[in-house]
Amino acid sequence: MKPTIVKREPVVDEAMDQCEARLTEEEIEKVINEVIDKETGGRLWTYINTCIHCGLCAEACHWYLSNDRDVSFAPVTKIKDTLWVMLEKKGKVDAAFIKRCSQISHTECNACRRCGMYCPFGIDIAYMILVVRRICAKLGMVPLYLQDTVHSHAATMNQMWVKPDEWIDTLQWQEEEAQGYVPSARLPLEKEGAEIMYSVIGPEPKFLAQLLGNITVIMKVAGLDWTMPATAGWDNSNMAMYSGDFEIMARVERLHHETAQRLKVKKIVMGECGHAFRGAEYDGPTWMGWMKPPIPIVHAIAFYYDLIKSGRIKIAKKIEGPITSQYPCNVIRNAGLGSKLRYIMSAVCEDFVDLIPNDRHAFCCNAGGGTINCGPPWKKIRVQSAKLQSENFKRTGAHTIVTPCHNCHSGVEDIVDGYKLGMHVKFFSELLIEAMEIPEHLKPKEE
Amino acid sequence: MYEFVSGPLVWIAFIVFIGGSLYRIYNMLSISKKEKVVFPHMSLKHSLASLVHWVIPFNNQYMRKRPIFTIVSFAFHICLLIAPIFLLAHVILWDESWNMSWWTIPEAVTDWMTIIVIIGCIFFLYRRLTDPVVKNVTDGSDYLLLAITALPFITGFIAYHQLFAYNTILILHILTGEIMLIAIPFTRLSHMLFFVFTRSYFGSEQGHVKNSKDW
Amino acid sequence: MFNIESWDWESKEKMLADTAKWKDKFEDVWEPYISQDGEKIASIVKIGEGEHNIAVNEGTWEEPFEKIWYSRFSPDGRLTALITKDMEWTMAVDGKTWEQMYEYIWDTKFSADGKIIAATTKVDSVYGITINEKTLECPVQLESIASHVISPDGKISAAIAQTVPLGQADLDGFLKGSWSVVVNGKPWKNNFVDVYGLTMSNDGKNIAVEYRDSICEYGILVNEKPWNEKFACTWEPVFHPKNSDEITAPVRQWGQWFLATNGRIVWDNGFYSLLYPTYSPDGNNIAAAVAPQFAKWTIAVNGQPWSVTFGECIQKPCFSPDGRKVAAIAKDKGNWLLVVDGAVLGEAFDNIWEPVFSPNDDKVICKVEKNGKYAIAVNGKIRRNDYEALWNPVVSPDGTKVMICGVEDGKYYRKVVPLSDI
Repeated sequence: MKPTIVKREPVVDEAMDQCEARLTEEEIEKVINEVIDKETGGRLWTYINTCIHCGLCAEACHWYLSNDRDVSFAPVTKIKDTLWVMLEKKGKVDAAFIKRCSQISHTECNACRRCGMYCPFGIDIAYMILVVRRICAKLGMVPLYLQDTVHSHAATMNQMWVKPDEWIDTLQWQEEEAQGYVPSARLPLEKEGAEIMYSVIGPEPKFLAQLLGNITVIMKVAGLDWTMPATAGWDNSNMAMYSGDFEIMARVERLHHETAQRLKVKKIVMGECGHAFRGAEYDGPTWMGWMKPPIPIVHAIAFYYDLIKSGRIKIAKKIEGPITSQYPCNVIRNAGLGSKLRYIMSAVCEDFVDLIPNDRHAFCCNAGGGTINCGPPWKKIRVQSAKLQSENFKRTGAHTIVTPCHNCHSGVEDIVDGYKLGMHVKFFSELLIEAMEIPEHLKPKEE
Repeated sequence: MYEFVSGPLVWIAFIVFIGGSLYRIYNMLSISKKEKVVFPHMSLKHSLASLVHWVIPFNNQYMRKRPIFTIVSFAFHICLLIAPIFLLAHVILWDESWNMSWWTIPEAVTDWMTIIVIIGCIFFLYRRLTDPVVKNVTDGSDYLLLAITALPFITGFIAYHQLFAYNTILILHILTGEIMLIAIPFTRLSHMLFFVFTRSYFGSEQGHVKNSKDW
Repeated sequence: MFNIESWDWESKEKMLADTAKWKDKFEDVWEPYISQDGEKIASIVKIGEGEHNIAVNEGTWEEPFEKIWYSRFSPDGRLTALITKDMEWTMAVDGKTWEQMYEYIWDTKFSADGKIIAATTKVDSVYGITINEKTLECPVQLESIASHVISPDGKISAAIAQTVPLGQADLDGFLKGSWSVVVNGKPWKNNFVDVYGLTMSNDGKNIAVEYRDSICEYGILVNEKPWNEKFACTWEPVFHPKNSDEITAPVRQWGQWFLATNGRIVWDNGFYSLLYPTYSPDGNNIAAAVAPQFAKWTIAVNGQPWSVTFGECIQKPCFSPDGRKVAAIAKDKGNWLLVVDGAVLGEAFDNIWEPVFSPNDDKVICKVEKNGKYAIAVNGKIRRNDYEALWNPVVSPDGTKVMICGVEDGKYYRKVVPLSDI
C-alpha cells in the first residue's frame, strides 16, 4: 500500500520532539506489542479484519470535510497510517513514526465517534484511535500541553494544578458572590448525606469561578439539598483518559466516585462538560470494574431539564433573539441527551435556532477529545479544521451559541474568533441565571 | 479436471468454508471474552435495533445521504447472496448429488442478478480507482478480493450464456466459486461473518451503555 | 474511641439540645456534628450578613466570626472549627482562637486522645503542617500539601507534599520528581513523580506510600525504601495491625489486580479489580473488595471470593472483633445491602453506614436511610424509630450496651440501650 501523502505545516511541540530524539526502536516495539497483545482483544482484531476499506467513514469526519476533503484526515486513513503499519510490521517502527501517530491520534482526531456511527459495520474507529494514544502515552509521546495537564491530574487530582486550599477558598468566595443575588444562598462543603454532590472541572475554580456562584444560586432557588467536597475528588474532568494514561485516568475517577460514596449522596450532578461525563460515566467506571458509577452521575443538561420540567425553576423572562446550541458529542451522540438539550433551550430562549445537522448527527466543535488541551502549537490546524462547523453556526444567524460543555465552550470561542462570527458563547447556566425567576422571599431585602 | 473441481474440491471448499467460518467466529468470540467488558456491554434489544436500522435500506441517516451507494451496495449484496443459492442450475446439482432441492428463482431473474453483482463489482472497482480516500487505503489485496468476488459471477454468466469454451469456463466457474468460499473465512470477505457481531456490539454500546442510537 | 470506659453508659436517655429552637433563633443552621461521647451537638449558625457562630447544646460560642466552617469535635470533646477574623484564617477551639493567623488553614486532624490538633496551613504562600499552634519547621519550601496524617499518639506527623517548584509545563522537572513525604517537617531524601496513599502504622514507626516512578510504573515505599518489585499500578497500602513491618497493597500486573505483601504476590488469583484490603484485628486474615469479573463485585477473604456477587459495587470490608466474620455494604440494582459472610442480611436501603459488630458477632448494627429518614438496623432490619439525623451507633466496652445519638422532632437525644433490647 502506498503511503498517504500528508501535507502539514511543521509544528514545533517540544515534548514530542524531545521524545522522538529519545525513543529507541526496541522500546517502541516492546510497548506496541505489549499494548496490542495484553490490552486489546476481540474488538481490535475484529475491526481490523472486518474493515473492507470502503472509505465511507470519511464523509462523517469534520477534519476531512473542513480540509477540502484532504485524504490524510479521513478516519480510515488515520488507522491506516497508525495501526495497520504497527500490525503489519509487528511493532518494528521508528520514533518519527510514533510521533506521527501521536500527531494523528492526539491532535487530529476528537474521538467524537461520528465515524463509528457512519460505518456500515459499526467499527468504532475512535476506539482504535485511543489504542494508538495508549501506545503513544506509554512511550511518553504526548503533546506538551496535554501531557502537562495529565501531570496536573496525577499530582493534584485536578486538571489545573489547583491546590487544596485554593479550591476551598474559591468555593467560599463564590458563596459570598452568590449571596449578593440570593442572601440565603449557601455552598455547603462536606455535607454528608446531602442528596447531591456537585462536581466540576478544574477550569471552573481556576478561570470561571462565577459558574460556581451561579450554581449556588440555582441550587438555592430550586431548593435542593446539595454539597461539594472540600477534598481532592471534586474534579470530574479527565485528560488522562485522552492522553492514553489509563492508570491516572482510573485514579482520578476512582477518587471522584469514592468521594461521592464518602459523602453518602444519592447522585452526582456535574457541571456542563462533555468529556468529563464520558470519563465519569463510562471510561473510568469501565476500567474500575463498575458497569455504571456506584453513585449515579447526572449531566447538567439532564439536571436542568428536570428542574425546568418539574417547575422547580421557573422562567421569568425568556432570552430574546436567535440563539443556537452546540451539541457536545460526549453527552449527545454518546449519551443521548439531545432532546433534553432542545427542551431546555426552547424553555429559556424565545427563538432557539437549531443547528443542521443536529442532535447525534451534529459535528464536533473540534476542541474535544483532548485536542484543545494539546495547546497553542496545535491551535491553528484545529481552528482551520473546524471550518465546517463555523459555517453551520453562521447559517443559524444566532447572536449567541450555547455550549453545555467546557471543551465546546473554548473550542467554539476559537471558532467565533477565527471565523469572525461575531457571536457570544455562553454556558446554559449563564442563560438560566438571566432567565429564571428568583422568588420574592429569596431576593435581597431593599435597604 | 471437471470431475475434480465438481467432486472432491466442492467437498473441500464447503468444509473449509463452514469449518473455517465456525473457527473464525469461535476465535473471535474467545478473544472477545478475554477482553472482559465486551459481553457485559452487549444487549440483545440494542443489537437487534442496530441491525434493523442497518440491514434495511435507507433506514438510517447515512444511507439516505448517499442514495446511489446505498442502492448499488444493497442490490449487490442481495444478489450476491440470493442468486447462487436459488439458481436453478445449482439447485439441480444439489438434487442430483444429495436429493435435496428447494425453491428456485426464474433463470432470467438470476441472470439479471448476476449482472447486478458484476455491475456492483465494477462500481466498487471504479471507487477504488477514483475516490481518493478509497484509493489511498486500497492495495493488491483489495483488488484480489474484488476479483475473487467478481469471477464466479462473470464465469457463471458466460457459462450460462455459453458464449465460448463452455467446458473450460464451467470448470473456471466452479473453481472460482470454490476459491471464493474458501476465501470468505480467511480474508476480509469475513465481514460477511462479522457484520452481525460488529453491528451488535456498536449498537449495544451506543444504546445499552450510552443511551443513544447508532443510526 | 478515647476514654470510652468513662463515658456515661448509665443514663438511658438524655435530651441535650432542642435544635428546632436554633432554627427560630438564627438565620440559617447548618448540619450538626456531635462529640464522640455523644454529649455535645453543634451546628454552625448564621447570625447576620458575614457573621457566623456555633450553637453547642444550649449555648453558643461567645464570639461570632466572619466565616466558620469545618466544625469537628476533638476526641476529648473540645469543639474545633476553622474561622476568619479580618480576612485571615485560624483554628478556634471551644470558641478560643489560636494566636497565629494564617493565609489559609484546613484539614483538621486529631490524635487519639484529642490532645493534639493538627492542620495544614499556608502563610505567605508557604505550606506547612501546624500542630497545636506550632508550624513544623521544614528545610525546604513546600509548594503544596496533598494530604497529611498524624499517629494515634500524635507524636509523628506525615504529609505528601510538593518539595520542588515546577515552572509552567515543566515535563522534565515533573518526571525527575517533585513530590515527597515530609515526616515531622523533614522531607524524605528522594523526590518522586507522584506519591499517593499515605499510611502510617498504628505505632507510628513506619510510613508507607505508593509512588509513581515513570508514566506507567508504580511501587510501594516503606520509610523511603522502595519494594524491589514495580507494578503497572498500585492502590494504597495497609499495615498489619500487630506487625508494622508487614505491608500489603493491591498491585496490578498483566492487566489484573493482585494482592502483594512486602512486594510478593500473596493471593494466587488475579481480579478485574481489587480494592480496600483490610486486616482482621489480630492480623491473621485479610479481606478485600474484589471483582472476579467485570461488574461482579464481592469480598474475598484470604484470596477466596464469596460466591455471591453484586452488580454495582462493594465497599470496604469490616471484620468482627474476633476476626471470624466479615461484613460489607454492597450495591445492586440501585439498592444498598448489608452482606455478612457472603449472605445478604435483611432488607435493602437507600443508604447504609459502616457496620458495627456486637462483641459476640451475632448482631451487625448500622445506621441506615430509607425514604429520607434514618434508623438503626440490626442484621439489616430496622429496629428503632425514624430519626431526622442519626449518628453511627457505638457499642460499650463491656459489649452490653449501645449508644444511639439522633435528632427526633428537632430534639437531640443521646440514648444508651441494652444490646439485648435491639
